[in-house]
Parts: sequence; C-alpha cells; structure tokens
Amino acid sequence: MGHAQRRFVSTATKLVSVPLSSLRSFPPKEALASRSSSFSPEAWAALQPPPPSALSALSHRIGLGAVLQIPELEQACTHPSVLPLFTRRHPNQKPPPANENLSTLGNALLGLFASEFVAASYPHLPTRVVKAAVSAYVGPNTCANVAKEVGAAPLLRWHRTPSTPLKPAVLHHDALSSIPRSLVALIYQRRSLSFARKFTHQFFLSREVDLRKMLKFRDPKVALAETVAKFGREKPISRLLKETGRFSNSPVFVVGVYSGTEELGEGFGSSLKMAEYRAAEDALHRTFPDVDGDIFTIGGEVEYTPGEIGTTEIRLGSAGRSSIISPSPLSIVSPESH
Amino acid sequence: MLASVTKPIFRAQLSSKQSNGHFAFVPQIRKLVFEYSQNWPSSTNTRTYLRNNLQNLARANPHVEVVVRQRNNRQPIIRGFYLNNNEKVIPLNGFEVTGIEKKVQLLLDSSGAKIKSLKRRTVESATESARGIWSGLHDIPFQI
Repeated sequence: MGHAQRRFVSTATKLVSVPLSSLRSFPPKEALASRSSSFSPEAWAALQPPPPSALSALSHRIGLGAVLQIPELEQACTHPSVLPLFTRRHPNQKPPPANENLSTLGNALLGLFASEFVAASYPHLPTRVVKAAVSAYVGPNTCANVAKEVGAAPLLRWHRTPSTPLKPAVLHHDALSSIPRSLVALIYQRRSLSFARKFTHQFFLSREVDLRKMLKFRDPKVALAETVAKFGREKPISRLLKETGRFSNSPVFVVGVYSGTEELGEGFGSSLKMAEYRAAEDALHRTFPDVDGDIFTIGGEVEYTPGEIGTTEIRLGSAGRSSIISPSPLSIVSPESH
Repeated sequence: MLASVTKPIFRAQLSSKQSNGHFAFVPQIRKLVFEYSQNWPSSTNTRTYLRNNLQNLARANPHVEVVVRQRNNRQPIIRGFYLNNNEKVIPLNGFEVTGIEKKVQLLLDSSGAKIKSLKRRTVESATESARGIWSGLHDIPFQI
C-alpha cells in the first residue's frame, strides 16, 4: 500500500461511521427539520451510541461475555471529551455516563499489575528500566494499540479537543487508550482483583517487550571489565568465533567474550568492533536474569522483604535523566547576555 | 567519540507488540453482513439459509456481529469485516445451503489479511545443487 493509501485508511478509521442497522430512521429528523446550516453531520455522528450488538460482540471477543453488561460497556467506550458536544446539542437531556473515573482506576490497576510482574520477573533490574518496562507493557501507546487490536475503535465515542492552558489536547490515541483501562476497572468492580490481574496478564503482560533496548551502557566493554573484576574473575577477552564475507559489502562476524574458559556473552555484527561491542552488551544483559515460569505460582505467596538499597553493581550510561529532554546548547540563553 | 550519556528513553513513546494466541486468542472477524434479494431467484438458497441456519450461527459465534440486509435486484452477497480494517466479499449465487455454510465458515476462520500467493517458478534441474538442500530440522546437510 502506498503512502497516500495508508494515510487515507488511517484518516478513514478515525472518522466516525454510524452503521445503518443501528438507526431507527435515516436521515435523522434534526437534519430534515433545520433547513439552515445549524445541523452538523460530524457532530451528529460523533454522538450516536454504538449498537448493542457491536458491544456484545466486543465483550465476547475478549472472553468476558458473561461478565460485562451492555450499558457499562457503552460507558467504557464513551470518552468525556464528547460530553460538551452532547450538552450543546441536547441541553435538556441527561448526558451519557463517561469513562473518566473508570479509566483512572483501570490505569492504576494496570500499573500495579505490570510493576508487580516486571519486578518479580527481573529481580535485579535498575529502577529506571523497571519504569520503562512498565510503560512499555501498559503505557498509553500500548493501551491504544490494544483497543485497536480488540476492535474497540469503531465503538469509541469521542471528540477531538485542542489543547487549552488548563487541559492537554485530546487526540484519537488518548481517547482509544481510555477503553482498555476502563475495561480493567469494570472487571475489578464486577469480579475481583485476581480476576483483573489474570485479564491484565493475558492481554497486556503477554505482549512482546524487548528489555535489552532499555538496558544501555555508555561503554559496555569498560563496564564489563569492571564488573568481572568486582567478582574476582579473569579479565574478559573477546575471541572471534565465526566470520563470513570479510572485505565484501555484507560481512558477518560472531564474537564471544570470555573470562578464562567461561563464555560470558556473544554478539554478531558487520564489523569486528560492532560484534565485540554487542558481545560485551550481551554479557551485561545476562547479569539481569529473569525468573522462568509463571511468577504467580512459582513460589507461592510469601512475606515481602524489600532488598537493601546500595550502590549499583554496574555503571549505566543513562544516569537517571531518561525522562528529561535536554535543550540544545543554542537554545540555552546564557546569563551574561542580559 | 563516545557519548557522555546514552540516548534517553522517552517512556510515553514505548509500546509492545501483539502476540495473539499466546495466552488469549482474539478472533479477527468483527461483523458478518448478509445481503439478499427478495425478488430474484438467485437468492433463494440464501433466503433458505437465513431462515433456517442463521440464528444458530449467531448463537455459536457470539463474537461476531451478524447483520442481514435486503438488497433487491442484486445477487446475494456475504461481507466480512475484520479487525485490520479489511473487508472480504463473497457472492453466494450458485451455491446450495451446504455451500453457503462453507463460505460462511471461510469468512469466520479468516484473519482478513491479504492472501499472498506462494506460487513461484520451481527450480528444475538434472544436476545436484551445489550447496545442498537447506533444512531447518537437520544437523548435517540433508541428503536425498
């Protein structure tokens, strides 16, 4: 599909389309009554509730046909950005319930389950990596993707809102991400915390997240040498294991880094230096082992004893400033210029 | 040459990849629309199917939204809407009720992905291959 077609499809999916089977009469009476231009078809379409059959189909698709009812599903799919639009068009009617509170509760629950999962699966991970992993598992991007993959995008009721000084903008992405959060909150309310945790595990924590991309080092060879020295082992030496295509335009080198006879890590690359760098990175990634198997049943429930806070074993490159965007030197106004 | 710090990770931009079926399976079909004609004879078998089999189908597949539309003076059609925003349309004229059931099952089982043909010109040669035959299941090169 070309660029123009892709853009057309993505725009079309964001536009609201009302299925004719759910309407009693079409065109709506308001459109015929007001001959002036006060009737806006886009606003009318944005306010139409999704048909009950579609909501029921959604609940069965995620395996919760017996748990969730249609009115609460409708609430879960209504973003609060649509309420001002509703009160403007129907000032005398009661506005539909929106998913703001459900979304907040669901967000908190998702964060709770995801941080439990990451901390239990990778006990020795640095805190900033745990936070990044939690964002990857249940963050705004993932929630929006889950809503699309589960088929909730055509059921969403929302309204694009520009950013004001008090509130941020509401985009399609933000409105979509509120749906899975609301669903988790509804499951917690209708069933139990453990049921909600099982649902989160099946739909969020089973997704693929590569933690190695979040564990980055300024100089992995130096960091590895320091770590190995700390544990009193032999100095790491990298050895070329396999190579092909040297002096061609697509060489591949496989390098292993050894401490004595024990292999610590292996890496491939299109140059010797690249393969050696990756081998050192691989060795450092293996110092954060993961717990194999189902973390919820492996040891049973025990009393939690927090680990002692001490100095980090390995010097990481990103020293806690990963969420701060540092301004470029040209944008910083020096005090002497005033 | 080395950066003073590594590239920062912007947590709001992180996401994960789907693994449908690893734990929970989400069926990819969202809606099934049957379009039939009341006056033309080509829709007779479709009308029989809708009268006798449709309710059982809808009950057996609660994850699918089933819609029936009357569309006069046209051939009968079945449309499947999928979660990847694709649509599959199959005409039902010329099929018996059992044939219609098979086409319905085809749409229910499909993922909506485009069907890529694997037909290619096969290599025909009188001599053995120079580097042997690749096999992902054998330790040493596979010999016929």
